[in-house]
Amino acid sequence: MAEGKIVRLRIKRQSGPQAAPQWEDFNVAYRPGMNVIVALMDIAAQPRNAEGQPTTSVSYEANCLEEVCGACAMVINGRPRQACSALIDRLEQPITIEPLSRFPVVRDLVVNRQRLFNDLKRVKAWIPIDGSYDLGPGPRESAADQETAYPLSRCISCGNCLEVCPQYNDKTGFVGAAVLSQVRLFNLHPTGKLHAGERLDALSGPGGHQECGFAQNCVNICPKDIPLTDSISAVGRQLIVHAVRQALGS
Amino acid sequence: MNPKIIIVGGGLAGLAAALKAAEQGAQVELFSLVPVKRSHSVCAQGGINAAKNLKGEGDSAWKHFDDTIYGGDFLANQGLVKRMCEAAPAIIDLLDRMGVQFNRTPEGLLDFRRFGGTLYHRTAFAGATTGQQLLYALDEQVRRLEAEGKIRKFEHWEFLSAVLDEQGRCHGICAQDLHGMQVRTFPADAVIIATGGVGAIFGKSTNSIVCTGSAQSALYQQGAWYANGEFIQVHPTAIPGEDKLRLMSESARGEGGRVWVYKDGKPWYFLEEWYPKYGNLVPRDVATRAIHKVVFELGLGIDGQPAVFLDVTHLDPHVLDAKLGGILEIYEKFVGDDPHKVPMKVFPGMHYTMGGLWVDNERQMTNLPGLFAAGECEYQYHGANRLGANSLVSCIFGGFLAGPAALEYARNNRTDAGSHIFDQELRRQQAINDRLYAAAGEENPFTIWRELGRLMTEHCTVVRHNDKLRLADRQIEDLLGRYQRIRLSDTTRWTNQTFFFTRQLYNMLQLARVMVQGALARDESRGAHYKPEFPERNDERWLKTTLAQWDEAAAAPRLSYQDVDTSQIPLRARKY
Amino acid sequence: MATATHELPAPESSSTTPSRNAFLLRRLHSLSGIIPLGAFLIEHFASNAAVLSRHPAHAYGAQVKFLNSLPFVLALEIAFIYIPLLFHGLYGLWIASESTPNARRMPLLGNWAYLWQRISGVIVLAFILWHTWTARFSGISVPDHPELAFAKMQAQMAHGWILAWFLIGITFVCYHFAYGLFLFAAKWGITVTARARRRWGWACLIFGVFLAYAGIASALAFRGILIYPVR
Repeated sequence: MAEGKIVRLRIKRQSGPQAAPQWEDFNVAYRPGMNVIVALMDIAAQPRNAEGQPTTSVSYEANCLEEVCGACAMVINGRPRQACSALIDRLEQPITIEPLSRFPVVRDLVVNRQRLFNDLKRVKAWIPIDGSYDLGPGPRESAADQETAYPLSRCISCGNCLEVCPQYNDKTGFVGAAVLSQVRLFNLHPTGKLHAGERLDALSGPGGHQECGFAQNCVNICPKDIPLTDSISAVGRQLIVHAVRQALGS
Repeated sequence: MNPKIIIVGGGLAGLAAALKAAEQGAQVELFSLVPVKRSHSVCAQGGINAAKNLKGEGDSAWKHFDDTIYGGDFLANQGLVKRMCEAAPAIIDLLDRMGVQFNRTPEGLLDFRRFGGTLYHRTAFAGATTGQQLLYALDEQVRRLEAEGKIRKFEHWEFLSAVLDEQGRCHGICAQDLHGMQVRTFPADAVIIATGGVGAIFGKSTNSIVCTGSAQSALYQQGAWYANGEFIQVHPTAIPGEDKLRLMSESARGEGGRVWVYKDGKPWYFLEEWYPKYGNLVPRDVATRAIHKVVFELGLGIDGQPAVFLDVTHLDPHVLDAKLGGILEIYEKFVGDDPHKVPMKVFPGMHYTMGGLWVDNERQMTNLPGLFAAGECEYQYHGANRLGANSLVSCIFGGFLAGPAALEYARNNRTDAGSHIFDQELRRQQAINDRLYAAAGEENPFTIWRELGRLMTEHCTVVRHNDKLRLADRQIEDLLGRYQRIRLSDTTRWTNQTFFFTRQLYNMLQLARVMVQGALARDESRGAHYKPEFPERNDERWLKTTLAQWDEAAAAPRLSYQDVDTSQIPLRARKY
Repeated sequence: MATATHELPAPESSSTTPSRNAFLLRRLHSLSGIIPLGAFLIEHFASNAAVLSRHPAHAYGAQVKFLNSLPFVLALEIAFIYIPLLFHGLYGLWIASESTPNARRMPLLGNWAYLWQRISGVIVLAFILWHTWTARFSGISVPDHPELAFAKMQAQMAHGWILAWFLIGITFVCYHFAYGLFLFAAKWGITVTARARRRWGWACLIFGVFLAYAGIASALAFRGILIYPVR
């Protein structure tokens, strides 16, 4: 590989939640196979901007670097994605990097995604087991049902689907595709099904399923290829059936 | 008031402990560097072992126990391992009830696959993202308990130290907020440490960024014993990368994947030739040494590079997607080749520490009363080498043991420690922070870290030589000297990641010496610890647990040894 | 260093039973676009197609006369057209106001369709209010003089800009309805798989194009421009 080849980056920085954002340019040494995280690690090791001025290191969230923990979501060249799987060779330069815009910025590329976890709590995204003591095996499940549910259970709570959702904002309070899809997952499970009503009730209120505008960006951006729009439809059907049943008093 | 239990670490072990403790009446405070759903347990791929014997093979908990002890080269204390293997089937059932999407058989039962170091189908799995699925199941249960007010999470907090009284009893922790950066002490009736692995000490590993071993090291420097630090697992199949080594699960071989290199222009399946009984599924230490030999001694790495083929191209693509989809996707995304069509190129990479904080043989308590440990950060269960798919079960079992044990301790030992020990610890930690902020030397912490990683990977992984270990220890001492002349590039007091990294680096350096000195002292070869100068296992001298204790005066580890419990399975030669 | 207590963001309360009104209102909004509004739209286009005859003034007048001969016509109009229309339109405006479109950043088909559903909704609401006012409530009273209905429309259409406004209104109303049918199936859980949505999407597209063609052909016929062979 060419000696001295550089990678140019433009990073939107913000020193704190209330600070004004500003862009800073960086150059880092190119190595084959590197990803955006490698570039950010290089900056952390030697924080100098493109003009050669010393600066502070860019704060960012990252953990597993295998696109399975969900931590390193950021907007790279205008597209939200996981920085670990954003290979430099496949990106146009200068590479622009911004924090996710739908969440409050903590510092630089670090954002507070607590709302996503709160929403999972709101819709009771769990199987309510009686206790962790031994009660024998779980319910049997067909291999076909497992193949439907498993892709849904791979949601890494990265927030990319929320970043691109035109309905995910403070006005709608929409919970977003990731959470809707989790409701589908738990309503599919033989035990989870027993409590489907509670989850559907939560999704009928403010910020619930109705706020989806079906722009379908979520399913196009999902790094785990989760069939989010299928989930939205499936939950929509459950909500209708649930509402009719309740109206009829059954 | 219910007893308060602090749990540090939100991976499988921490969540398992939190679940049990909260369920049994504890007020739990759960501390984690990352939102617990992003803990390193998500990276576990292949599966979780339990002798459910659903394949009509006559598998049993005893055979699981025997495989684990034999795989660990008899260094594990047998009592807890036996209990773990007996508990494993019920743990799988519980996870199944929690909604883990395990793969199924046509009859709707759990499917099991083979893994390294056993001849039985004993590994339950959810695609090739089993760790993720298990972590999520526990994360969901913990979220349920959080909604019920029984667990409170402190995410984005760094553990700094335990708060100990004059007798060394633990009364709480000192922690720092990663965003606001304030240092606080938190009292508790008992503390459980579940802080995982130590990969960052080796620079690049299969571990996540948070796996620095910093918490374990801080506790070791406070007087907790660190056991068997020299036993480091190097996984045979990882994808080398600039930022980390990405794991290619053993399940690829469990489903029929084969390892080979070209020899005389033809594929040579060296594992199958050398180990006809276990073939590609020999334990990890054996496979790793074989690959090492093929590449460095025989010079047969692919195109002269340190790499061998891991080949699944001959397997049914639908089966591959259903059972290995997650890892094949990782390969495709990060390397660019489609492993359905092209054999993967892999090489061994640092993966796991069998050693860790010393805990007792009953209830996961360290030598510091009130301080418990569970998961990868402690040393029980795996001896000198861990079998694949045993880590998930040991994490959950350890957590399930530690949670109630900590609660019981808390109920029996409710003493008011007095506020002075909290003030003292807070001041001690703040003094460390202030020194770090004020440091005005010329050394770059990242440079020191890279050198540490290089030293440890070169001298303290697959093959160990006493002269090189001695050299490595001296060089780590040099690095510690250079650490004293460090300078932070960022001294701001808000979400300062350079600050936290540098703080962790000191602990990494101290813990690295425990590993190196443990390896240097142990003149034998056992499990993952291999010394060409001493190629045989030496039970007479070395059937012992290494205990490293912090020597405050020397600022160095002091080694002592403890007998291993081998009461149930008699020693035998380890030949696969 | 400050050691002030650090408060975590309080989790949102989940104890209260959430109101189902938001859900029911939105479903009603979605449904009202199809029944009665969509159904009326089809009927309206079918009636208007009377102009596509050899004697348009007569045929059109007869059609208007027939419709106005229905019993309780005003009550029917209010119940099945004006109230649903105002509800669908005003609630739709509110929905559109809560949107944060990003089609330029995410230039994907579904995202553009989402944006145009909102734009077309606003335009169509304006068009329908204007059209209802001018055709039904001002000028010559069509119910009283059905025979003059054709002439009234013809006079209006004689203005080029009004014809253009009609063509825009017709196109957008057809888009809004056809894509609304697609969304209805998706959100109500009729098309749960990508394959079903693709098939239904094509059906909606073909239907929408046909509807637009029928509407435009009728509008142009008032100017004697025939894009459909008159029997």
